[in-house]
Amino acid sequence: MTAFWTLQVLNALQHAALLFLIAAGLSVSFGLMGFVNLAHGALYMLGAFIGISVAAQTGFWVALIAAPLAVSAIGALLYLCLLGRVARLGPMPQVLVSFGLVFIATELVRIVWGDIPLVLDPSAALAGRVDLAGATYPVYRLFVICIGAAMAAALWLGVNRTNLGAALRASVENPGMARAIGIRTERMFLLVFTLGAGLAGLGGVVAAPITAANPGMAVSALIPALIVTVIGGMGNIAGAALGALIVAGIEVFGAVLFPAASAVLIYAALAVALIWRPEGLLVAKGAR
Amino acid sequence: MFRLDAMRIVLLVLLLAGMQVFAMLGGFFGQEIVAEIAILAILAISLDLAAGFGGMVSLGHGAIMGVGAYAYALAGQHGLTPWPAALTAIAASGVTGGLIGAVSARMQGIFFIMATLAFGQMIWAFTFSARWLGGDNGMGGIARASLPFSDLSQPMAFANYALCLLLAVFLLAAATLSTPFGRSYQAVHDNAARAAAIGLAPRRIRITGFAISSAIAGVAGILAAQHMQFISPAMMFWTTSGEVLVVLILGGIGTLTGPIVGAAIFVTLKYWAAGWTDHWHLVIGALLIAVILAGGRGITGEAERRLRHAFR
Repeated sequence: MTAFWTLQVLNALQHAALLFLIAAGLSVSFGLMGFVNLAHGALYMLGAFIGISVAAQTGFWVALIAAPLAVSAIGALLYLCLLGRVARLGPMPQVLVSFGLVFIATELVRIVWGDIPLVLDPSAALAGRVDLAGATYPVYRLFVICIGAAMAAALWLGVNRTNLGAALRASVENPGMARAIGIRTERMFLLVFTLGAGLAGLGGVVAAPITAANPGMAVSALIPALIVTVIGGMGNIAGAALGALIVAGIEVFGAVLFPAASAVLIYAALAVALIWRPEGLLVAKGAR
Repeated sequence: MFRLDAMRIVLLVLLLAGMQVFAMLGGFFGQEIVAEIAILAILAISLDLAAGFGGMVSLGHGAIMGVGAYAYALAGQHGLTPWPAALTAIAASGVTGGLIGAVSARMQGIFFIMATLAFGQMIWAFTFSARWLGGDNGMGGIARASLPFSDLSQPMAFANYALCLLLAVFLLAAATLSTPFGRSYQAVHDNAARAAAIGLAPRRIRITGFAISSAIAGVAGILAAQHMQFISPAMMFWTTSGEVLVVLILGGIGTLTGPIVGAAIFVTLKYWAAGWTDHWHLVIGALLIAVILAGGRGITGEAERRLRHAFR
């Protein structure tokens, strides 16, 4: 019995790691620019597909590096050409333009890679299973948990323990004042957007061996990521991590304990979070 | 503030007459397309009432429409004849919207969108897993309405019936916006603080407005159920609501005629493009971005602005 629950905890952690990678960029660009980027799920999808194509040529480890870099570049390009301009127009135009991008990205992926789900084979070093507290668990999924944890730790350190992070937090809390003391918030926006796109791309390539890459990913990944962002609060890394753990926990344990109601639970949690604490569970002090 | 001016009346008459001619000349296929346009247009008008005139952008309108469709089917199963069943369904949608509005009305912007998404998805997930509602198989064998002078099982008669309902919903929405309530509703959208200062109750007005919009979404649901004579939870999924939002933005938000233009273009493009490509969403996505970058007024809004300039 303990083996069963160990498995479920590991499943929840692995799910949370993926959710965190998608939601981190969404959350920070939300907090920093007030920008609701619905195309974030599309960047995640591109990460998975680019990763699969690169891995077919050069192997898994190159893909693991190249796909996030490629998606970062796409993100930066999108920001410079389109989204940066739209960011100034207000929430509705942002939502709609990024929704338009979801349509376009989904169709482009269908044209280039087709409609059939594609699976990525991870490196042989990550194949197989290990024994953990009585349960056997795939090594690859442990690897995903480690990547999620490492990224969360690195981001937290970067945001909370570096000068650049301090400037970033200042821009979230009070953009006008940050500009007044010489922080170039425009450049900060671009940096955050590029980084967030890269993380989503990493999430995509890491998820590809677990959930087959398909053109529906852009939409299906978006909603859980938005829920994580709203539950965790915008613009902070710890909140995104906490939100990812809560959402993953509800999804995994909900499916085990209340199979009949599992689909409703996550949306109920979102509704409760919005009513009880619309600014998010953890939120930068100034925003509350 | 909404005005049913000459320009809008002319556009409405042209649209309805155009669809009527299209249904008459287009054969069975044309008549089915006109019915589909009318359903989508009614749903888009209902969303225009909430989003365009009340500032409440909803991603739950598909689910609210679905509540109407399912209530209509259930009432029919329990022996109600189509017209009383339709009234029950409209009430069910209105009450659902009122409840969602009551919880969400104090939220603004993206939080309101997320709240309606949450409630809409809850309704979808519940229906999807409820065996007594047919689960993901949906429900079939739904009766069309009966009229003394026309047989609605004929596609042409049904297309005409759908167009009449569209006209009725349009006039009802326009009339609602012209009542004292409608004026206060738009005032709350324009500036809630000032509206409160002159003695209006913004929260209650927003909730009522959302409930009225939801009741109209219920009409779209009933018409959709009667059209296909089959319903499934797919219509409740949030992407349906997202699609209607796209239709509304393309056509022109806050105009009431825009939703009809948007629905006509959307459905026509879908069937026209289906003949030679599978990727027509590419065009929709590009159109959506172009409309927003051009100022977000949509096709109708842009045309109205140009015409006003030309006649000045």
